[in-house]
Amino acid sequence: MLEVFVFIISGTLAASTPLIYAAMGELVCEKSGMLNLGIEGMMATGAAAGFVLVATTGSHSVGFFGGMICAMGLSLIYAILTVLLNANQVASGLATGILGLGVSSAIGKKYEGTTVTPLADLPLGPLADIPVLGESIFQLDAMVYLSILLVVAVWYVINRTKLGLLIRAIGEAPEYAHSQGLPVRLVRMCCVAFGGAMAGIGGAYLSTAYTPLWAEGMIAGRGWIVVALTVFGTWVVPRVAFGAYLFGVISLLELSIQAFGVNLPSQILSALPYVITILMLAAISRNVTFIRMNSPASLGQSFSP
Amino acid sequence: MKLSRLIMLPVLALAMMAGPAAAEKLKIGFIYPSPVGDVGWAAELDTGRKAIEAHFGDKVETVFVENVPEGPDAQRIMNQMAATGAKMIMLGSFGYMNDGLRLAQQRPDMTFIHASGYKLADNFGNFQSRNYESSYVVGMAAGYVTKSDTVGVVAAYAIPEVVGMINTFTLGLQRTNPDATVKVVWLNSWFNPSKAQESARSLMAQNADVIYSLYQDTPSVVTVAEEEGVYVINTSSDMKAYAPKMLLASQIADWRSYFIEQVQATIDGNFKGTAFWGGMADKTVDVRSFSSDLTSDQQAELNKVMDSIRSGSFHPLTGPVVDQDGTERLAAGVSIADNDMLGINWLVKGVETRIPQ
Amino acid sequence: MGLAMGPAIFLLGGFMVKFTLEPRKEQSLLAPIVVTTLALLLTMLGGTILFMIYGVPPLKGLRAIFIEPLLSTYGIGEVLLKMAPLLLVAQGLAIGFRAGVWNIGAEGQLILGAIAASAVAIYFDGSTSIFLLPGMILAGMFAGIAWASIAAFLRTAFNANEILVTFMLTSVALQLLYYLVTGPMRDPMGFNFPQSITFGYHAMFPILIEGTRFNASIFMGIFATVGCWLFVKRSLVGYKLSVGGLAPRAAIYAGFSQKGAVWLALLIGGGAAGLAGVGEVSGPLGMLQRNVSPGYGYAAIIVAMLGGLNPIGIVFSSALMALIYVGGDFARLSVQLPNAVTGIFQGMLLTFYLGCSLLLTSRIRLKRSDAIASEGEA
Repeated sequence: MLEVFVFIISGTLAASTPLIYAAMGELVCEKSGMLNLGIEGMMATGAAAGFVLVATTGSHSVGFFGGMICAMGLSLIYAILTVLLNANQVASGLATGILGLGVSSAIGKKYEGTTVTPLADLPLGPLADIPVLGESIFQLDAMVYLSILLVVAVWYVINRTKLGLLIRAIGEAPEYAHSQGLPVRLVRMCCVAFGGAMAGIGGAYLSTAYTPLWAEGMIAGRGWIVVALTVFGTWVVPRVAFGAYLFGVISLLELSIQAFGVNLPSQILSALPYVITILMLAAISRNVTFIRMNSPASLGQSFSP
Repeated sequence: MKLSRLIMLPVLALAMMAGPAAAEKLKIGFIYPSPVGDVGWAAELDTGRKAIEAHFGDKVETVFVENVPEGPDAQRIMNQMAATGAKMIMLGSFGYMNDGLRLAQQRPDMTFIHASGYKLADNFGNFQSRNYESSYVVGMAAGYVTKSDTVGVVAAYAIPEVVGMINTFTLGLQRTNPDATVKVVWLNSWFNPSKAQESARSLMAQNADVIYSLYQDTPSVVTVAEEEGVYVINTSSDMKAYAPKMLLASQIADWRSYFIEQVQATIDGNFKGTAFWGGMADKTVDVRSFSSDLTSDQQAELNKVMDSIRSGSFHPLTGPVVDQDGTERLAAGVSIADNDMLGINWLVKGVETRIPQ
Repeated sequence: MGLAMGPAIFLLGGFMVKFTLEPRKEQSLLAPIVVTTLALLLTMLGGTILFMIYGVPPLKGLRAIFIEPLLSTYGIGEVLLKMAPLLLVAQGLAIGFRAGVWNIGAEGQLILGAIAASAVAIYFDGSTSIFLLPGMILAGMFAGIAWASIAAFLRTAFNANEILVTFMLTSVALQLLYYLVTGPMRDPMGFNFPQSITFGYHAMFPILIEGTRFNASIFMGIFATVGCWLFVKRSLVGYKLSVGGLAPRAAIYAGFSQKGAVWLALLIGGGAAGLAGVGEVSGPLGMLQRNVSPGYGYAAIIVAMLGGLNPIGIVFSSALMALIYVGGDFARLSVQLPNAVTGIFQGMLLTFYLGCSLLLTSRIRLKRSDAIASEGEA
């Protein structure tokens, strides 16, 4: 039973890591007012590019960097469409997402079915040997711990720095910000690029560390979960991170529940994360004032100087 | 209806005239449900394709399309192959059956072989492998090495072929280790390498120290077992390269002689749609790359059992056999009939997970 | 990593030259056609680059995708067959999109329609009644409507974003489908394989062109087109719905309820998707199985946008998308292209369309300098 407990804890930390990266990125992006629905395609591109790079160069750093760049490039296409050309954000996000999925499939084609050495666990020496606690938390790879640092960093930047204030101001009232001489479009593009880069890292983590392989469709809807997470977390950093971990736990339960002797059809368990997300969304969105207070006012709207 | 029949006649006549005397190439199409990697179900089918090319040289031309999902798209690919001159098609997945049969009925001048189905026609044959034979052997091996007495199985669907394999695997396991039990995770997907890996990990968390990767087309389960230091068994291809330390054994499928036979029959014009069920005796099924961790006594015993299966003196699913509910399914000394094996839908005692209903 | 370089260069250029977008005063009638043609040409250009990467002669590749399907009766039949669900669902979705209601879950609504129709076919298996198929059609339509109404309810009662809810519901619908074909709706004589019985002749749409798979389900799409055209152009409700999307405040002044708009938009989309689901199981599939739709629900979103959210435009964009689908499949066989090509072409087409349409409906005005510009705007 203890083994299962350890599996769930360490499994959740690992499974939630790609969500954390992508969610932090999408959060920053949305804070500036941009709704990027193409995260799925960007994660896929990051996953495919990352995998191919690790398979050819053997270096995980190259893999993550390359995955980040490729996904960022894709998000820039979205940024050009929406920030510069004022296209509808929903449509543009969907378009670049589909493009990203296709590109990822093309990149990964030759490498389907192969495998690479997964990212090694970070050697944490004595910490890792602590019974139970050591196995659950201290035997993971570097990217997991970096993701936690990322959460802290994003929280700090958004809430305690001038840059964060700038992003939030632009997200709340772009016209006013522009009239004050603030570089609205530049900031938005950078936030979109950051979102894309993080999605790329999240995707690359999936394909080079979590399950070291590339397969079409391996992102399996996580990109959409990320978009839901920002709403679920009401655009507040710690809550979004919590949502990511919650989702990770639920998705793992599907496999572990058999250990507890529960005999539910597996499809119910597979659907559970989505059902819970829907219920959460409903519960949180209900309070319209609450939402309006927390969501960036200009989210999803085009801005034209 | 009538018009198309009229058109068919001259086509048929032409086809028949072109038959045995033809110096033209036989164009053969292959349709795979998953991507062709280095190993796996699709890879072994493709090995068969390459063997056909090597054997027949200039007399054949092969084309293949991979990663074709079952459904209308598969039908389109089949029809497209037929429309562009293919005279024989190999259908690599159960789900292509109905569409394939329909095409076979429309095109009596073509021949078809279909993997793991159950419908037949004059020009439509099917083929399966008696993997349950090799499953028994690897089950015995698992019984030898397991210390936790728990073995985990990652399986796709509870179709008869898979159920039969799990059953003989468990019987083999219990022969060498009467206290061992089997846990199964049903993936409910033919191709989901990520989920397969997660399932393997969850089984390990439940104390399984041997993992049986049943019909997983990628080495994803094999690699995670190697990483975690857990023994692993897989099907379809030899995956020693992916788990040099922890591979216990690989069950392999070899379709080459069967494919070549069927192509020859098509070329000779005497193709007959039959149900082929190859086993260890005709080398369609085999076990390779036994781990060196097995002692020489254990290996000798495994070899002995394999020989007895090949000679026909031993059938892995022979009574007394009791199912999960305690009902006796086979009396002592009685082996399961082929027909019952084709439709088997119960698991033996010792398997702790049930078939999803 | 050309993917990153291209936009980066474009961006640098965009930033060095400061510009602003101004809507053109007149929009010519030709504009939508020009935009689509331009987007198509750019897509072909992009495709050429793609082919060169894969070592396929570009002209051969383009021919395989765009021309080959049209060369045989079977090919034309396949294009029409693929077009039917795209046309139908896109018409339904466009109504919603014009009202600013984003139904991303058409795929799930389609699946529910397929399930409901299959349930009828299975329950009445063996029946030769002429009411069987209509019954299946109605069942499918109401199932799609019911599924979409969950999102409508959550949006109107709880203000939950319908983009997210409809998408999540698609995942739930998929699990429901898997559960049903693995269990309750499985063919008892089917050796435990996850699929239903094959439907009888009377549960299927009749084939329209001998030798192809093109069937009567296209009529649903045609009715939908005519219906949507009338609805948008001639009915007051349709007009209000469009206005609501374009200018919510104005709509409220006109006395039109936001909530009513959401319900109507989602239900129309859901019903259309459900009908498309019936078209699949009573058409090329002939049964219920795990793979019911190759992403029609999502492709229809592209079709709707490519068609400019206009009922007539959608007819053309659905034909084009169907051509790309079928051509992509043909290309897998004739020039050994990977199946990712279809997705890339579709993504490119929509991306270029969005980019081009903005450029054509707005004029770029270069700013001399910030000072002068802001003075001018003050």
